[in-house]
Amino acid sequence: MSDNLARVPQAGAPQRSAEHAEEHRRFQIVSPSAGRRSRPRIVYALTAIAGVGAIIVAQLLLSVGTSQGAYEISALQASQAELSRTEASVNEDLVQVSSPQSLAANAAALGLVSNSNPVYLRLSDGAVLGAPSSASGSQASSASLVPNSLLGDNIVLSQLPAGAAGTDVSGAAAAVAVTSAPVIPAGLPSPTTR
Amino acid sequence: MSKKAVPTRPHTTRSARRRVAATVVVLFIIMSVFVGRLVDIQVVRAEALTADSVGNRSVDQTVYGTRGGIVTEGGVVLAESVMRYDITVSPKNVGEFTRAIEDSDERATVTVAQASAELGAITGQTGDAIQLIISDALAANAESDFAYIAKQVDVDALRAINKLDIPWLYPRTNPSRVYPNGAVAGNLVGFVSGEGTAQAGLERGQDACLASEDGTETYQKGADGVRIPGSSITTKEAVDGGDVITTIDSDLQFFVQQTLAARAQETGAAWGTAVVQDAKTGKLLAVADYPSVDPNNIGGTADPDDRGSRAFRASFEPGSTLKALTAASVLDAGAADLNTQVLAPYRYLPSNGANINDSHQHPDQQMTMSDVLIDSSNTGMSKFGEMLTNKQRYDYLTTFGVGTATGAGFPGEDGGILHPYQDWDAQTAYATMFGQGLTTTALQVASVYQTIANDGVRMPVQLLAGCRHADGTITGQPETEGTRVLSEKAANETSEVLEMVYNNSWVSGVWNIPGYRVAAKTGTAQMPDGHGGYSTGYLVSVSGFAPADDPEFVVSVSLADPVKMNTSAAPAPIFQEVMSQVLKKYRAVPSGLPAPDLPTVQ
Repeated sequence: MSDNLARVPQAGAPQRSAEHAEEHRRFQIVSPSAGRRSRPRIVYALTAIAGVGAIIVAQLLLSVGTSQGAYEISALQASQAELSRTEASVNEDLVQVSSPQSLAANAAALGLVSNSNPVYLRLSDGAVLGAPSSASGSQASSASLVPNSLLGDNIVLSQLPAGAAGTDVSGAAAAVAVTSAPVIPAGLPSPTTR
Repeated sequence: MSKKAVPTRPHTTRSARRRVAATVVVLFIIMSVFVGRLVDIQVVRAEALTADSVGNRSVDQTVYGTRGGIVTEGGVVLAESVMRYDITVSPKNVGEFTRAIEDSDERATVTVAQASAELGAITGQTGDAIQLIISDALAANAESDFAYIAKQVDVDALRAINKLDIPWLYPRTNPSRVYPNGAVAGNLVGFVSGEGTAQAGLERGQDACLASEDGTETYQKGADGVRIPGSSITTKEAVDGGDVITTIDSDLQFFVQQTLAARAQETGAAWGTAVVQDAKTGKLLAVADYPSVDPNNIGGTADPDDRGSRAFRASFEPGSTLKALTAASVLDAGAADLNTQVLAPYRYLPSNGANINDSHQHPDQQMTMSDVLIDSSNTGMSKFGEMLTNKQRYDYLTTFGVGTATGAGFPGEDGGILHPYQDWDAQTAYATMFGQGLTTTALQVASVYQTIANDGVRMPVQLLAGCRHADGTITGQPETEGTRVLSEKAANETSEVLEMVYNNSWVSGVWNIPGYRVAAKTGTAQMPDGHGGYSTGYLVSVSGFAPADDPEFVVSVSLADPVKMNTSAAPAPIFQEVMSQVLKKYRAVPSGLPAPDLPTVQ
């Protein structure tokens, strides 16, 4: 029989040893009390996981940003290609309109007449070198002797309004229509003998 | 009550051990299957699988290099490359499709017939024709994946077609060549075939400068077709072709071609050439041919012989225009001067057996050098020419460039025929004095007059100014060193003689340019009939330069067999108009000095 009452130890040594021996034989496993924790702190785990999560998220965002950039680049490159095509096409039109056939036809349509008699005005003393004479004739008809098949039928860009032709235009046809068939000057009569 | 701990046995009973062993074995088997598969994929079939994957993801693209253009020194473009598009179809995928409707979530169904009609409206074909193309392709091959609908459409048409949103159409780029100035310098520039190979003219001769190299580029794309960033690899850089720079002036070329064509048609000539050359530098400002060719429309010129440049490739016997060369040679050698007189009969029979006569009957006349050239007397020229030995005249002819191609830069240029003087028979020895018995091209004749105009220094004939590569460097610049052929005195004296010819010739009324001093000579040469003799047609020409006191421009015009006017009055108006235009364009101011008055007997 044992109890928790404190007892004054008896003087008898063999009794004590016998009790001790009994007590020694009866061991109980003592459950460990809630004292020192052997689990690590949860903060460290959360930090580690949060760090890994942050890295993954950052990587995802970067890769999203890069692909978004790729889509933008692709769109810009497509629009650049379209703009260069427009530029090339407009350049082509410009070069065609600058061709001599187009210029000659448009000049003729505006009533301009070529003049092969150059006269010089010397500015130092106002002298006129050469013999001035009025322009005669138009070269519109012979423009089609040197054809340009790129121009098509619409090479005249602007027409004079009816009745606005200058009064000094002599020898030129009143209606300067650009015909597609070449107007060959009337041939000379062939000699009968040589 | 105290609880007695129940002593447990350790976990090592036989059944437990077996369970553990079985689990380990199963795990091991599963692992080995994975390892085996891993080794198989990563090591054994690695290359094949990688190649497959790359093929599925990456795209090979040709990066086109642009063929170089042909431009003038003034910057006018004579030939350039443009991008055109071929519209191709995948016949096996042709079918109905849906198209998004604007401002609505619904989609409209579009039938093949409707799509064909819409497509045809842009390309200029009927919807039935397009469906016929598709059905023909499927009839030939039921799995056909490729057929052409339209070739060489431009950017506007391409955009309209893309707007139609037809899924079974695949546009492809196709570089094409365009000649914005049409027939202006068309004979010089040449043309390319439909596939882009150069066929004639400068396109062909300068192909080494103009040709480009295509490059290739590989990139990887995602499922929606967007390039994966950082995956573009340029495996080969594309190299653009260089631009060929010519010395031609396009406006002047247009004018000269026009004038030549009008007059040639008026006189019924078989063909004609007109050359304008800068007397001081030798640059060709205009080289016109009749008939001309428009490289955009080669079919418009029926005869293939007309598609080249006769100015460079057709040599002919120049006739009387070469008398200037003989006169210059005689004056330079000191064998005669401007006062020397010779007796010129109508028919001259020299001792070596030749037979020379003039173009019209006349009594025996005393003639100075000026008379001989004004009247264009063959007998008078023979009397002057025989003052030099054959070798001397042959040396002058070769130094003037007769018999050698000018090397101006046009491919396949003819050098003309000049037989060695040892091979000259009696008639040829005299005929070469007045431009028969040898052949030259129009350019060689112009070069002779350029030498006389330039105080006796012959400048190399130049058509090209160089090749400007894509990076801006210019190569292939021609020689600019002249060679002295005549003394300055002899050249100036010959120039004055030619001025006398210009003022006193029978065509002087036709080729008169008021206010300027001009030197010119006509020429009427018999044309060979192809059987060793001469035909009745003549090759009439006029060559000259202006202003004669300090010449700047040389003009040489030839008409072959103008049946309606078989004299040198035929090209004279062309010379007058072209020379007037040249003097006006380049602002050559007349000096106001009077023309020389050399001694004449007539």
